[in-house]
Amino acid sequence: MAAPTAAPPATRAVAGAHRRSRPLGHERRRAAYLMLAPGMLHLAWWIGVPTVATFVLAFTRYDILAGTMAWAGLDNFVAIFRDPVWWTAVWNTVVYTFFTVPVAMAIAVVIAVLLNTNLRARAWYRTAVFMPHITATVAIALVWMWMFEPNIGLFNWVLSWFGVRGPAWTSDPAWAMTSVILMSVWKGIGLKMVIYLAALQGIPHDLYEAAEIDGAGPVRRFFAVTLPLLGPATFFVLVVSLIESFQVFEQFYVLTPEGGPAGSTTVMTYEIYKSAFQRFDMSVASAQSVVLFVFLLVLTIVGRRFTGRDDVA
Amino acid sequence: MSPEGTSAPVAPPVPSGPGPGRLGGAPRPGRILLHAVLVALSLAMVAPFVWMVLTSLKSHAEVMSYPPTILPSVWQWVNYPDALGFAPFGTYFRNSMVIAVSHTAINVALAAMAGYALARLPFRGRTPALVFVLAAMMIPTFTKIVPQYLLAKTMPFFGGNDFLGRGGSGWLDSWWALIVPGAVTPLAIFLFRQFYLSLPRELEEAARLDGLGEFGIFARVMTPLMKPAIATVALITFENSWNNFVWPLIVTRTDQLRVIQVGLAAFQQTERTLWEYLMAGTVLATVPMIVLFLFTQRYFVQGFATAGIK
Repeated sequence: MAAPTAAPPATRAVAGAHRRSRPLGHERRRAAYLMLAPGMLHLAWWIGVPTVATFVLAFTRYDILAGTMAWAGLDNFVAIFRDPVWWTAVWNTVVYTFFTVPVAMAIAVVIAVLLNTNLRARAWYRTAVFMPHITATVAIALVWMWMFEPNIGLFNWVLSWFGVRGPAWTSDPAWAMTSVILMSVWKGIGLKMVIYLAALQGIPHDLYEAAEIDGAGPVRRFFAVTLPLLGPATFFVLVVSLIESFQVFEQFYVLTPEGGPAGSTTVMTYEIYKSAFQRFDMSVASAQSVVLFVFLLVLTIVGRRFTGRDDVA
Repeated sequence: MSPEGTSAPVAPPVPSGPGPGRLGGAPRPGRILLHAVLVALSLAMVAPFVWMVLTSLKSHAEVMSYPPTILPSVWQWVNYPDALGFAPFGTYFRNSMVIAVSHTAINVALAAMAGYALARLPFRGRTPALVFVLAAMMIPTFTKIVPQYLLAKTMPFFGGNDFLGRGGSGWLDSWWALIVPGAVTPLAIFLFRQFYLSLPRELEEAARLDGLGEFGIFARVMTPLMKPAIATVALITFENSWNNFVWPLIVTRTDQLRVIQVGLAAFQQTERTLWEYLMAGTVLATVPMIVLFLFTQRYFVQGFATAGIK
């Protein structure tokens, strides 16, 4: 089978080499442009143009009804930073991120380490932990809203077993943020855990054996071997989580509508949504988007510094 | 992080028995404890889903009573047809399905071609093109959503607009706005590029010697080898499209075009106590993804691994 087929290609290769010397490069280039065009034009029109346009709109006064546009310099930025609600939104976003991301990451890394053993039913545990990630945030936030129900909801019923009178959760200004954070931690663990699990499987076994011979117990092995080697994965998880967390919208929209009780849970994305699609002030919304973008950019760069090299994955 | 771990001069006292037991042969009690911890965690993770299903099968009186029951005293399967009759969940479901299937089909086709070109065809401008895709991947939704909305609204000749896109509503409140802007994702292009890079060069050369053109090599030789990659991209696209909320929320007004996530949120805001119908609706909104996920887990995980570990 091998011998007869091996001979002809060899001879054809020689002939082909002559035939394709110039046309091949040309044909491949043409094919490349044709295959790239639909996708790249789509990205350019629906992502490239809008991104640039956000930065332009932020420095203009655009009237959506009249369709007029005028240069505004830094007016929009001055306006949003004079707005106490925007400052509340920035602060709330930071608070939300500060509690959600590290907590979810810590739980995720512990679960990943626990699951990185040849356990029976390991796949089932992994599925259960990952399931919240693939289900729609809005739908699942509505389920949490039902569980948070102050009078007949699941949480306050369970708390009552221990004699605790539960708060009003999403409608109590003191607890609304906590409610959203609880739900987001629950939803965010799965993806982080899967990334950690993939990284853990890349750690060579002999390192653990060497550490064990040197007398390191499981806890020491975790801190001295596992965690340092998870550096690149930690960076990746951190950046992805920060970006996701700063863009959180659905949980807040559903659980604490209209910026929450007494405006206690408004976040940057909600303010952008309000400016753009309730007040139709596209210029202010764009300025707010630019601020959000700068936050994300700074976080990405700082994250890169902090966790060390990220490209060694 | 690492200095803290290594600076302890003496190994910390080994906590009694349990622990990950990574190197096999862990003591039995440790294993049992480990399973107990994992079972408790898993239950906490699936509890909201269980509560959702149980609530959707209780009568209204039972849902509103305190203390709550765990299992429905009478299993009210009729809640589902009733909920569908009470609110247009059926329409919402169909809309979401049409959009998610369209997005998946378009994205797989266009992103595969683009990913293939980026991975296997030499041409001038390949590096800038790749950088552009990577940059597009990093752009947050809220950095582009305002102009996206304006682009949709000012689409010339649609929705009563003139040739400059003035005067009407453009693509707003139409299938166009729901389907076209999100139809191609940079993530899909990037994933396809990574997958195509992994195919051996010899295949391409052999096909070329057999006289296939570049499109033939792409469509008939390379892509058929990529079924797992296609499954991965298709599932991730479907998931993102099915779960998408913000874009459908801002571009639709009429009930007829609402997707299920938007419909559910709107239902909750008007009917504040019909929890059993709302939970029936959320079952409709979550179960397709859960079922899909249970049967295709490894493709999902593969996708995240590829995206994560470059």
